[in-house]
Amino acid sequence: MNRSGFWHDLKKYKIFLLMLAPAVIFYLLFAYIPMAGIIIAFKRYDYAGGIFGSAWNGWDNFRFFFDSGNAWQVTRNTALYNIAFIAVNNALQIFAAILLFEVGGKWFRKIIQSSLFLPYFISWVVVGAIAYNLLNYDIGTVNVMLRGLGLEPVDIYNTPAYWPFLLVLVSAWKGLGYGTVMYLAAITSIDTEMYEAAEIDGANIFQRILKVTIPNLYPTIIILVLLAVGNIFRGDFGMFYNMVGNNGVLFSSTDVIDTFVFRSLITSNDIGMSAAAGVFQSVLGFATIMAVNYAVRRYDKDRALF
Amino acid sequence: MSATELNVDKSFAKASGVRNTDRKIFAVIGYGSLTIMALLCLLPFLLVVSSSLTSEHKIVTEGYQFIPTDFSVEAYSILFKYPKEMVQAYLVTIGVTIGGTLLGLFLTSMTSYALSRRDFKWRNGFSFFFFFTTLFSGGLVPWYLLIVNYLHMKDTVLALIVPLVLNVFYIIVMKSFLGGIPEAIVESAKIDGAGDFRIYAQLILPLSKPALATIGLFLALAYWNDWYNALLFVSHEKLMPLQYYLYKMLGNMDGMRKAMMGAGAVVTTALPTESLKMAMTVVATGPILLAYPFVQRYFVQGLTIGAVKG
Amino acid sequence: MLRKSRWTMFTLLFAFVMVMSACGNNKNSGSSASPSTEASPSASATTPAASSSAAAPSEGAVDTSKEVKLKMIFVGPKPVDYDIVFAEINKKLKEKINATLEGEFLDWSDWAQKYPLKLAADENFDLIYSANWAGYNDQALKGGFLELTDDMLAKYMPQTWAAMPKVSWEQSKVNGKLYMVPQNRGESVEKLILYREDLRKKYSLPEINSPEAYATYLKTIAEKEKGVVPFTPETGDWKFHNLDRVLLKQQNEWNMFDLDMPFAFKLTDEKGQVFNVYDTPEFKDLLVYYKDLADHNAWSKNVLNSKNDHQADFKAGKTASITHNNGTLGSLMALMRQENSPYEVALADINQGKKKSVAIATQNGTSIHATSKNPERALMLVDLMQNDKELHDLMMYGISGVHYEPVGDDKYKALDKNPNFTGFSNWDFNSPLNRDNEAFPQEASNLVKSWEAGVYHYPLETFVFDNSKVKTEIANVGNVMLRYGIPLEYGLVKDIDKGLADLNKQLKAAGIDKIQAELQAQIDAFLAKQ
Repeated sequence: MNRSGFWHDLKKYKIFLLMLAPAVIFYLLFAYIPMAGIIIAFKRYDYAGGIFGSAWNGWDNFRFFFDSGNAWQVTRNTALYNIAFIAVNNALQIFAAILLFEVGGKWFRKIIQSSLFLPYFISWVVVGAIAYNLLNYDIGTVNVMLRGLGLEPVDIYNTPAYWPFLLVLVSAWKGLGYGTVMYLAAITSIDTEMYEAAEIDGANIFQRILKVTIPNLYPTIIILVLLAVGNIFRGDFGMFYNMVGNNGVLFSSTDVIDTFVFRSLITSNDIGMSAAAGVFQSVLGFATIMAVNYAVRRYDKDRALF
Repeated sequence: MSATELNVDKSFAKASGVRNTDRKIFAVIGYGSLTIMALLCLLPFLLVVSSSLTSEHKIVTEGYQFIPTDFSVEAYSILFKYPKEMVQAYLVTIGVTIGGTLLGLFLTSMTSYALSRRDFKWRNGFSFFFFFTTLFSGGLVPWYLLIVNYLHMKDTVLALIVPLVLNVFYIIVMKSFLGGIPEAIVESAKIDGAGDFRIYAQLILPLSKPALATIGLFLALAYWNDWYNALLFVSHEKLMPLQYYLYKMLGNMDGMRKAMMGAGAVVTTALPTESLKMAMTVVATGPILLAYPFVQRYFVQGLTIGAVKG
Repeated sequence: MLRKSRWTMFTLLFAFVMVMSACGNNKNSGSSASPSTEASPSASATTPAASSSAAAPSEGAVDTSKEVKLKMIFVGPKPVDYDIVFAEINKKLKEKINATLEGEFLDWSDWAQKYPLKLAADENFDLIYSANWAGYNDQALKGGFLELTDDMLAKYMPQTWAAMPKVSWEQSKVNGKLYMVPQNRGESVEKLILYREDLRKKYSLPEINSPEAYATYLKTIAEKEKGVVPFTPETGDWKFHNLDRVLLKQQNEWNMFDLDMPFAFKLTDEKGQVFNVYDTPEFKDLLVYYKDLADHNAWSKNVLNSKNDHQADFKAGKTASITHNNGTLGSLMALMRQENSPYEVALADINQGKKKSVAIATQNGTSIHATSKNPERALMLVDLMQNDKELHDLMMYGISGVHYEPVGDDKYKALDKNPNFTGFSNWDFNSPLNRDNEAFPQEASNLVKSWEAGVYHYPLETFVFDNSKVKTEIANVGNVMLRYGIPLEYGLVKDIDKGLADLNKQLKAAGIDKIQAELQAQIDAFLAKQ
């Protein structure tokens, strides 16, 4: 397009640009300028030199991660856990939101909705403590009950195989209220005329949900999934660390990039090395989201993120 | 507002009079699953509340309790040892939450609206500009340097509000909500000669109450639960928000005890660490739980766009 | 068109970023230089750019005619009576060196995040508490602290220079350079066992003075005392078993450089031959010992996930033994006696007669900020805090008659207001002037005294490992230790031989040989110089 086209557009979009101005300035200032700090990943950071004056050291800061022999395992774990979280959490949230919209009186809905939100407020530290209280081998509530029933107790904290299920469950439990609110808002935004039309067409309630409610949620689902996909290589440190802790027995099935990097750097606490791990996650996330977004764009231009 | 809700319910009720079985089955599934899910969420929280009221000795010897058999308010009396500071911390948090949420809601909805307009050719470019920041970040050090050394926001209320005021996640979710509003509404307003800002302020905002309530809730929760910005940027006692105040208090009492003992001092006040953790959860969550039902009405009622369209 | 404009946007953006940061940099260096005009001419000559040897002009007495304000960063919460006590301290300081001190306190909950940030952001302060456990070596290598030369020490802190043992200065050096004024009082780092004497008597068990006797005690408790866990470790990121310091290090008369690496040497070895702990027969024997204990339920099966506070558990009678250092255990004993606990408790040293290592000087210390404008006055302040009885008492114990009551010359009695001035890191001023709490149990003090008498001096006492060349390998080895070593040591791996082989295989892959070679090379060079 030629120059006059650009100026023409600029004038045409004046109001939009003004509306965007605060956010653009905000992200320039608080995100893009500090982004220059990414170069710390390639430097041997020292205080006198700071971000720009420190000496370059190439890929040295990345070595701890790739030379460890665990890079592939923890990267795979991170991605698989996040995919499971995205699938299970969203499915449950949609399920809960639809039920909440369709069932019960005002008070029932309010009480249920408030209850679903409670886990959100319990910090991971406390969740970890409660989990240990329920699940530990010696005096955990679950095992006390099993013994009471004459069954074999389960040694959950020494059995890696239980953990993928346990972690998916806990993640779903903690995020249920938050996500449900979002889907509930999306459902309430659906034009009620569409429901009435479906009723008149003789659809029963299951058909109505399948044909009207869920299709109308697609844009929201796609957006939420896309947003989550960009962070698929970032593990929820608070959750993994407080649930699993430093129990090496479980690491084969529970170690994610963030916990691995944390353990590696507890002693040296090196700014450059932790920046390197962050860059690795960013690049992978970037590649993934570009690919997925491209795929969505091909399917429907309006549904893509950008 | 409740009139619309009533309308919706009535129309459904009418339909259900015709075919009953599917509604009945659905009701069984619905009530059943929701009740189970709610109980799973409610019970652990009850455990927290009850443990916060149990004596430390009981927790150490017998674990967390659903019913406080050895009742004790020690944890709370420690938390409220300095009531003035506690009230101050509540006030800071409430102030920051209200101010930040209102400002954030305004900026988020305005940004999202511009991005949601299909006739704005550059919207994808800008969306990408925002989204990119969620993928790459320069890390803590440059960010800290920027805020402390260049923007001089240390120990100001700005340091508690500004970093959380915009969030790409909220912008994009809001954009997707606004994208659901039929374009015909905007078109007809344009024909009436309304400017883009007026369309946003007078037409779109009232129509997006569920979205605004959702994002508003998320913003409020983010502000309410934030302690990290306070940790980094606030050292002045008058500016400490509740979550940070509690976090700091627990950490200090525990750290101080360990440090003193390591130095060979005899520390007479043992800390009920376990019940304190629980009491902190209750103290920090209580007010927002009380406020929540007031926001809720925006999620539990339907919205008839058609009424506005006409 | 869209793609093109996106790129334009990016180039513009990065240009913008670069310009902004360049501006920032200039402003930063400008601002750190300008305030120093206030300081005296001699002070401005000692900005970090100038070499530190220039900082010590050797002629004449120190000029203190200009009043200076010093700022020091402590770890720990601001004491409640900070204002009162510091006012008193400043009165004295003003008199003696024409300076006043302001403290900034990093809370226990977040000091670990804030400490490096304060240095990275080059915030304005003169002194900072430093310690090996607070990353002293790392921060020094990154250039956060001012190098201290012998000239400076002799000139500005003559009393400390005279009083401090040479070993302490040497131990505080990083790469041959000093960045810290260490505490001047040995703190015992060896660990002890605290156990239930009443239970030992109840089952008429022999005195706990050997690993075997201790094992018998643990197994008996496991078998006969339901509801009492025989041993509970301290929670944390330990890369060794909680009992290793007692059963591996002290028992075999080894020393380990730090507990994040599996390297040790024999105290008596003149050549300082380093070996991999996990490769030794001693370690394997210990694994058998631990496995036997674990199989007899000497500790919880889920010990790695337990978040229980071992001291609280011990006090509540829920566990029958714990390990910690002498100060902490003594203080816990005193407390239990004061509260008339129904349990009779006692300390056990199961390594009687074994050689003890000297305390590590860098456990507590004071460093000068690299960009301090008044390093001389800062050093003079440290000199006074360690050696001036009045100031030392004020800084360590608060105000006499309010926070404490002096008992003789070397003891104190804590008063009700004692908690109002304690709990922060004033330990860097530890010195022979320290007072002990009179409530501290006599047997604990006696034990320390007997240990101090048994300290064995060895050539590598002052050796400090510079790990900058093998950081990657250290990160990976540490990770392997946590993942493969710890479960093995707590008896959670069924087959010891296989577990040990796995551990050593993983360590090899993580680059343990490279660290060992580097360590040995540095030791050889160090010993050659002696």
